[in-house]
Amino acid sequence: MKIRKSTIIVHIIAWSVALIWILPFLGVLMAAIRPFPEILHGWWNFAEFNPSLKNFVEAWSHSSAPLGQGMLNSFLVAIPSTLIPMFVASLTGYGFARFSFPIRDYIFLTVVLIMALPQQMIAVPIFQIMTSLGLVNNYISLILVHSAWGLAWIILFMRNFFLRLPIEIEEAAKVDGASDFKIFYKIVLPMALPALASVAVLQFMWVWNDFFLALILIQSPDKLLATQRIPLMREVHHVDWSVLSAASILVMLVPILIYVLLQKYYIRGMIGWTVKG
Amino acid sequence: MTRRKKITSLKNFPLFFSPAIILIVFFVAYPVLQTVYVSFFSPTEEFVGLGNYFDVLSRKEILNVEGFPKWPPLGALIHNLLWILIHLPLSMFSGLVLAVILRDVKGASIVKSAIFLGMVTPLIVGGIILRFTFERGVGIVNAFFNVLGVEQLARTWTAYPETALFALIFGSVWLWTGFSMIIYSAGLATIPKEYYEAAKIDGATPFRTFFRITFPLLKPMTITVVTMTILWELKIFDIVFVATRGGPGWASTVLAYQMWLYAFRDLNFNNAAAVATFLTFLTLFVTIGMIRYMVRR
Amino acid sequence: MATATEIGIAVLVLIGIIVSASTLVLTLDLAARVQRIEETVAPPPLTVIGPWSGAEMEAFLPVLETFTEETDIEVKYRIYRAEDLSPLLPAQFAARTTPGDVIFMWAWFISEMGPDGHALDVTDLIDEADFTTGALDPVKVDDTIYGGSYTGKVKPGFWYRKSFFNAHGLTPPTTWAEFTALLDEIADIDGIVNPIVSGDAVGWPLSDVTEHFIATYGGPQMHRGLTDGAVAWNSSQVRAVFEDRLVPLLEAGHFSEPTEWTAAVDLWWAGDYGLYFMGSWITGMVDDPTDLGVFSLPGATGLVFAADYFFIPAYTQHPDEAKQLFQFLAGADGQEVQVGEGGHIATNLDVSLDAYPAVDKGVAEILVGKEVLLDLDDTIGGDFQEEFWTQLKLLWVRPGDLDSVLAALDAKAP
Repeated sequence: MKIRKSTIIVHIIAWSVALIWILPFLGVLMAAIRPFPEILHGWWNFAEFNPSLKNFVEAWSHSSAPLGQGMLNSFLVAIPSTLIPMFVASLTGYGFARFSFPIRDYIFLTVVLIMALPQQMIAVPIFQIMTSLGLVNNYISLILVHSAWGLAWIILFMRNFFLRLPIEIEEAAKVDGASDFKIFYKIVLPMALPALASVAVLQFMWVWNDFFLALILIQSPDKLLATQRIPLMREVHHVDWSVLSAASILVMLVPILIYVLLQKYYIRGMIGWTVKG
Repeated sequence: MTRRKKITSLKNFPLFFSPAIILIVFFVAYPVLQTVYVSFFSPTEEFVGLGNYFDVLSRKEILNVEGFPKWPPLGALIHNLLWILIHLPLSMFSGLVLAVILRDVKGASIVKSAIFLGMVTPLIVGGIILRFTFERGVGIVNAFFNVLGVEQLARTWTAYPETALFALIFGSVWLWTGFSMIIYSAGLATIPKEYYEAAKIDGATPFRTFFRITFPLLKPMTITVVTMTILWELKIFDIVFVATRGGPGWASTVLAYQMWLYAFRDLNFNNAAAVATFLTFLTLFVTIGMIRYMVRR
Repeated sequence: MATATEIGIAVLVLIGIIVSASTLVLTLDLAARVQRIEETVAPPPLTVIGPWSGAEMEAFLPVLETFTEETDIEVKYRIYRAEDLSPLLPAQFAARTTPGDVIFMWAWFISEMGPDGHALDVTDLIDEADFTTGALDPVKVDDTIYGGSYTGKVKPGFWYRKSFFNAHGLTPPTTWAEFTALLDEIADIDGIVNPIVSGDAVGWPLSDVTEHFIATYGGPQMHRGLTDGAVAWNSSQVRAVFEDRLVPLLEAGHFSEPTEWTAAVDLWWAGDYGLYFMGSWITGMVDDPTDLGVFSLPGATGLVFAADYFFIPAYTQHPDEAKQLFQFLAGADGQEVQVGEGGHIATNLDVSLDAYPAVDKGVAEILVGKEVLLDLDDTIGGDFQEEFWTQLKLLWVRPGDLDSVLAALDAKAP
């Protein structure tokens, strides 16, 4: 078959766009694997080229701002901040899907409104509550806020999923005398695994990528999360562009890996909660 | 949507609902109401009505009237609006065009992944990458304009009030275009092939087909993209924090950043609450538009 | 719909990530706890609390070891940054207890705790005349001294490469005219982008340069006045410092545009720029510190010196030993050990210049006879500091906007 001219043009456009899009990432990668003096006048200069992982090691175990510790802290926050709202919201989502409520539209409305809120809207009262509870600099505060903040969309997402599940199995179990809660975790939850995977992927990524809430609630140097260490490295500590680039790559590696491995669930979650509402 | 089926006998009502309600009431609802409340009071707890709102709106870093009609700094509010004005059409249309042409491209999934990388990158890292890309010497933007001989743009964009804001806006297009691309791609997959075959038989040009068939059928996606994008633009914080800190001379500051400054640098919680409430008012304004559309549907 | 296998794999991957991460976290946490338990066993007589960790701690511990050798008093060091201490200490003090016997802390905090009876009066333990002029002012309230000044970092002025100056026959200036002539000369050298490179971070490298201009051409008095609000930013004297000194240099292109401060070091070292204004810590940032030279603006009588301060909480169980340690840290013996480790400059005047490594000696020499000042924007903090940073960044690229810059600073000034 003859290749049409327009096909070629479309390919050229598409691939050049991809190239342009990847350039900034490429720059950071080049900076990260090379000593900074080599790229002083641009990472595209290859007069000298001594790639190594030295910058990553330095970023990971920097003497005053070790990123390794920050990444661990981020896991410590992100894992419970994913699991808690996942289970709490599944319960509620199931409740909404199976109760006869005359208020479905109001719930939808509330959820959409909560999703529209900027984090700035809760920042000061949250800071004051946590201060009075003595939870500033304690991950419990951050986990609680992230959990509450993520609940809205997860409830909506799970409710929509549960609505599509066939109800007959549950009714049969009910006839056999199983309790509501038992039905929920023995029958419904296992069926909801694909939806839960989407929720976990999205929520984990949001918590991992979050900066603002952490900025407000966690201040003690050894407790700072990974995202908080990035600006500190740039502004305060003597960390050159190369080490900073390595640090940036380490921090973004986690969401990228999750995206690559669990792409299907990520996209499904993304489209699910935005398009179908 | 599936017809609602009911189990009216679900008994453990509190078990299913109380954990979520407790969390939301304590950590979302109460803080929101408290912020609104505080925004009407002075630091000495006197009721001042809209006083704090007038106060912040009269500040140069929020609304710099003298700045008109020149370049930034024009104030955070105007910067946010500029952000929407430039970023929304750019990211939306590039996403749409990409979604459309990538249907016929070999290796489309690789291209999509490259573009989508920005969406999974933490914004704080995104800001660092922007700063790096626009820096004179190590950054590629300046090298590019150097080659073109445009000296005005071959410098550290974030250091100059004329360019700092635009560096961030263009950078955020780069980060966000993946969103509209993915949503539109999903939308395109739902359009039946027959429509296009029919159009082909009628001899419609690709452009005509696009504007008569594709775009109208993508309306729900467009609503989503527009709403979510505007919300994202209004909530911009991380990029500004890490790349410019709102400078130089507040030329790249935005409302969310200004709120943080008032609250946690100035410790003026009342002014901060006024900015936050105002910002929320803007986001709700956008959201209600979407809700009305959804309800009508 | 995804197949069961795919779901299974996805869930396994997730579980894998979660389990491995939690195991890692738990192990580390456990290790940390074991360490903590070990630390609490057999408490030593004295506890010192300081902010230093890592390499900085390694440089501090020899000081304590020397003290133990001389006095046989065991000293335990614990790391707490001032930010972490500030919410902690008032509560402890209210309960009449203290986590340490000698604590390094912000000077303003000490001068606030002292009059309330939480810090011991140390006026008789040290002699003010032994210290650099102004060094003890931040911990002095109505002639009573509540803390000691330790060593610290100085912002001495403009750094240059000796090899660069030698190669081009340049010499450090002794007058303003010589300074501007030097800048013109550097500007004409091949490969030079600007004579001075301007470091950009949150805002501090620019604020440091600006403060140096103010302290030199407005005098230490003006610097202190601006810090405590006694002098207005748009007063004619302050304006004169900017108009006559800083702005002409900016307009002449003698300063570069703000450049990422760490990249600026490498670019300056590589010969793109001739001078770099930086604190004394620059000696740890370059390949060959022996090639470093430094000069202050001609006529400088005051320099910004970020010294560390420490005090004895009133609730220490071992006041006598604590006082001994206090005197050691404030005295020449203790500070000589610290400066010998490099990167620190002493506030005690009895510390001999020979105690310094060669690279720090130049800075110590510059400090001789100068008055020390507190960092202006760090002292004021808050929204003024943010305004100061962002306005200076604006001034650097739009020197013509001086009026609006000074007006903005004045509006936020204390």
